[in-house]
Amino acid sequence: MSTAVQDRPFGSILVASLLLLGLLGPVPARAELPVESTGQVVTLPAPAPHWAWVADPLLRRSTLVDLDRGKTLGMVSAGFGPIMPMLAAGRGEVMVAETHYSRGSRGERTDVLTLYDMRTLAPTAEVVLPPKRAISAVPSNHATLTDDERFAVVFNLTPAASISVVDLAERRLAGEIATPGCSLVYAVSGRRIAMLCLDGALLVIALDEGGGEASRKRSAPFFDPQVDPITEKGVRIGDRWLFASFEGYLHEVDLSGEVPAFAEPWSLFDDGQRSDEWRIGGAQHLALHRKSGRLFALMHQGGVDTHKESGSEVWVYDLAGRKLLQRIELESPGLTIMGFPIEVPEDWIWPLSSIASGIVNAIGSAMGGDEIRATQDETPLLAVTSNFGGGIALYDALTGDFLRRIYSGNMTNVGLIAPFGGQAP
Amino acid sequence: MNMDDWVSDLTRAVARRTSRRGFLAGIGAVLVGGGATPLLPISRASAQGAPGEPHPDKPEGDPEGCDYWRYCAIDGFLASCCGGTHTACPPGTEMSPITWLGTCRNPVDGTEYVISYNDCCGKEVCGRCFCRRTEGDKPIYYTHKNNDIDWCMGTSSVIYNSTVAIVVGTSTKKG
Repeated sequence: MSTAVQDRPFGSILVASLLLLGLLGPVPARAELPVESTGQVVTLPAPAPHWAWVADPLLRRSTLVDLDRGKTLGMVSAGFGPIMPMLAAGRGEVMVAETHYSRGSRGERTDVLTLYDMRTLAPTAEVVLPPKRAISAVPSNHATLTDDERFAVVFNLTPAASISVVDLAERRLAGEIATPGCSLVYAVSGRRIAMLCLDGALLVIALDEGGGEASRKRSAPFFDPQVDPITEKGVRIGDRWLFASFEGYLHEVDLSGEVPAFAEPWSLFDDGQRSDEWRIGGAQHLALHRKSGRLFALMHQGGVDTHKESGSEVWVYDLAGRKLLQRIELESPGLTIMGFPIEVPEDWIWPLSSIASGIVNAIGSAMGGDEIRATQDETPLLAVTSNFGGGIALYDALTGDFLRRIYSGNMTNVGLIAPFGGQAP
Repeated sequence: MNMDDWVSDLTRAVARRTSRRGFLAGIGAVLVGGGATPLLPISRASAQGAPGEPHPDKPEGDPEGCDYWRYCAIDGFLASCCGGTHTACPPGTEMSPITWLGTCRNPVDGTEYVISYNDCCGKEVCGRCFCRRTEGDKPIYYTHKNNDIDWCMGTSSVIYNSTVAIVVGTSTKKG
């Protein structure tokens, strides 16, 4: 106690001295903080174009991220497999096809389409699905909404192929439609769903007012899966879907008419690039900025059958002109351990800082990029992620300039989407 | 060129000259240290390959390595590193009866074998010995030749743990 008494004058003298020296600002009037209420939960503002969902199958969630601020905004926690929220902007809802077990990894399986309020991210409704939805390491195109946001369509594989249709207005399962030999779901206008078939054909199913099958049309094969298959990782512009083949040919499928039109495929590579063994690769290797018509493709150098290899570069094409505009050498998408970013602290001195950042970047670059997405606004971002880390590398989608890396807390990234651009697909 | 650029370029060049899989495996080996070395080198050295199989000391004969000949079309975690073997699932998991198929060449007899990649199911993902080789892999719509699909079908749980590689016949043709 005597010590405390002795300290007080010393502390007062110190503060007074600092004040005299102008080192402390004005002393605020001492007031106790007001008592705060418990139980508050944040409600999100209206979505911004630079928000994105990044899924982590290990943590069984998809994280909502503000790419501009590098902020984690919230998440949906949604069961086993890549979690791909579908935005129904007109309904102010986001929905996820989910798979759960009553005892974690065992017990009774329940597949469910869960609807979340976009502002609260709280589940508001659910529709139980047939327990057979397809789950794979490819995050995209396993479920979709019809353009009018009336129905959700979920691809099933047992391995018999089918689709489950959910009526979102009535919040009920409308039914199941068998699609033997045809897989995945690609929405086009007019409540139609296109699917890719084993023989290289396209199946187009139109839904009726009740979510049943109104019509079914199957095209002639438009590619040979034995010779040069197109990948599942297509991107959409209007009623066109764009697919790249293993050998780097871009197939454009136009579904605006009654009968699909298949443009002559064009090569993403010239002869020199082809002989240098540049190839497409990655879990989502195409992205598109629809307004500017810039098509982005993840590329790497590798031999035959390396169509899942991560990309070391993103190549930017003018879609209308079918012309390569730019090659972007990728920076590290970001290393993480248990979600924590591994970045070299800014206050490390040279040469330690250079060596350490060189090593971190080299490891990250070797990991490469597995998924790319572009936002759809006037100042678009290109986001690049790796399956092996939780970071997101951001580039200016118009100039290709690397901007920064951000982190969401994810440990892995399998499933990246940026659906908030507010423009029609 | 400043020092930052130089170090960055050098390390990138080293990384690029190494395959991604090899590079990641290398990182894994560094991270786990001695764990990457066989714990029983004496018994390993004296081990003989099973009849018709490459010697287990060779990469193409080591079922715990991604270069093992049967893994040519695999994408997943090796059951042999997860408590199982290359033909048996880890304890307490359930082997999926529905699979995808690959065609791999056995270096011992030069024969192309049809390999069934059965997933081991019902426990969370193993995390050891990730191996992605995609020889002959096709997209999801070409279902029986696709290794991205969670093949835990026909089992009591769709939760994926790891994968085995079982010889189910010989093939006259690759593809």
